[in-house]
Amino acid sequence: MRTRHFVETYEKHVSLSHNPVTWSWALVLVLALAQLPMVASSYVLSLATTVGIAAIGAIGLNILTGSTGLISLGQAGFLASGCYTTGLLIADYNWPPELALLMAGVVPALLSLLVGVPSLRLKGLYLAITTMAFSFIVTHFLLYAEGITHGPYGVRVEDLNFLGLDLATTRGLYTLVLVTAILVTLMALNILRTRVGRAFTAIRDHDIAARVMGISLVRYKLVAFMVSSFFVGIAGGLMAFQFRFINVDIFNVLLSIEALAMVIVGGLGSVAGAIMGAVFIVLLPEATREALDLLPTGVNNMLSTYIYEIRGLLTGLTIIIMLRIKPQGLVGLWRDVQRYWTQWPLSK
Amino acid sequence: MDLFLNLVASGLVIGSIYGIIAIAFAIIFKTTGVLNFAQGEVMMLVAYTSWSLATSLALPFWLLVPVTILAAALIGVVIEFVFIRPMSGQPVFSIVMVTIGLAITLRSLIIMIWGPDAAPFDASVEGGLIEIGPVVLFTEQLFALLLFCAVSAAVYLFFRFTRIGIAMRATAMDETSALLMGVDVRRISSLAWAIAAVVSGLAGVAFAVMFARAPDMWFQGLQSFPAAILGGLDSPLGSGAGGLIIGVIAALSEGYIGHGLKEISGFIVIIIVLMIRPYGLFGEKELERV
Repeated sequence: MRTRHFVETYEKHVSLSHNPVTWSWALVLVLALAQLPMVASSYVLSLATTVGIAAIGAIGLNILTGSTGLISLGQAGFLASGCYTTGLLIADYNWPPELALLMAGVVPALLSLLVGVPSLRLKGLYLAITTMAFSFIVTHFLLYAEGITHGPYGVRVEDLNFLGLDLATTRGLYTLVLVTAILVTLMALNILRTRVGRAFTAIRDHDIAARVMGISLVRYKLVAFMVSSFFVGIAGGLMAFQFRFINVDIFNVLLSIEALAMVIVGGLGSVAGAIMGAVFIVLLPEATREALDLLPTGVNNMLSTYIYEIRGLLTGLTIIIMLRIKPQGLVGLWRDVQRYWTQWPLSK
Repeated sequence: MDLFLNLVASGLVIGSIYGIIAIAFAIIFKTTGVLNFAQGEVMMLVAYTSWSLATSLALPFWLLVPVTILAAALIGVVIEFVFIRPMSGQPVFSIVMVTIGLAITLRSLIIMIWGPDAAPFDASVEGGLIEIGPVVLFTEQLFALLLFCAVSAAVYLFFRFTRIGIAMRATAMDETSALLMGVDVRRISSLAWAIAAVVSGLAGVAFAVMFARAPDMWFQGLQSFPAAILGGLDSPLGSGAGGLIIGVIAALSEGYIGHGLKEISGFIVIIIVLMIRPYGLFGEKELERV
């Protein structure tokens, strides 16, 4: 019987995983994902790219909302600022894409201080609304500051070469997204297991108690905001590479809600959960489309005119159902399954 | 000066819509501690239902209002029973997330049922222009202003003098003591949702009569957040006043500063207000025990 429950030293407590089996399975997963371009069609590959970008964004949001307990409805604003930073630096200032992608993280991280500073005095719902306000202000700026952002005309990003990868091909883009996603995952896991990550959790569980224990709320809340929006901004920068034509329209409230849905469905506070949630929420509309094709043509035609609404409906219902039956999210479900098999035949 | 007065008037009109929705936010927040992100969608659902009643049954306006109120109360109770009641005992965070999920679910459902096109709401008050000095208003706009006054007065009287209103305030103050005093706390929650649905539903009807019954009406719900925050989420009348202030600021900034500011001026205002007074202008400062 595998137990995995006995930990004897502090080093083991804070290590990413003291179990070699976990490491080898993670390696197998990464190798399998790296081989995906060999076997998959370009449709599957571009879908996998979308999932990867969503996962990076969800990991970022999860640090803020899941681990630190600061609810953010401003995901769209951070994504938009990252996306436009990359796009404009490349299109108007001829920056190399490598640096432009880095700036996609840096600029939202600095902008996040704008929301982070009022957040020091705000709690829960007030903060959610402030972040939403931030996101509206960002999109307004992008739409009306035409001299800087091209306003309603959008930004075109073309013919990119990232460290030798040709981003015009789905394969090159997929490789870049996969490598970034792995790096971001490792960074997030490492942040969360250190002093900083434990401070985040303490703030989430009880901020006043955390302050009494000597955790500076000012410092760690701002750090949470900056780290989170750095990752989210990187996801935004990758979106610029993926879409090649950036327009402000996609950065709406629904995008912020979908990002929140990923974090909730996956499991709050867990990096693995954020990734699972991203996979689930991105693939949900695709799976629905496949399912609709099985229906008779008449019904199918009627429903396919409302494909956008069906997507919203499913996202909403998923949030509601998941919170009702499994508040720990997919990662909680996964742990239950694990426990069931490791303790079999003694499991209940 | 004429421009200024007309901007203020149109600001007050749209502000009264914001104000009524903000009152609905505050009613639910005060009694249950939940910020209902789906209030705009509830408002939209009531307005669409009322539109269907008005067009299919050809009800006259004086009959439409009470029927709409009944329908809205029913909608509020059903939504509370199906989506919110089973979540009782969960952290507020989860319940708020449920209302976010509810918001996009309702929005999609409404468009799937009634279609993506806007339609005029014809069961209107007798149309026409009314001139008050230099200010020119449509009858429908005046109706929105009157509705705001009526709703504010009704909400004030209800919470001040009626038995149920006092029970609701008691529950908001201390749930356990209220329970011990014989208040049916569970019923209070569904009552709060019903009242909020009625109040915001009336705003929805007023809005639809002014413009149209359109699939982007839910956005008024988000636009009313600044009003509720400005007035303090736990103070219904303060939220209503916040709505008027936000409406006037929106109209003035759109008229004098720049196009497009109408949508976001409210949000800029609340970011500044929250930096100075984190609990809104009229909200109570919470003391926390550890």
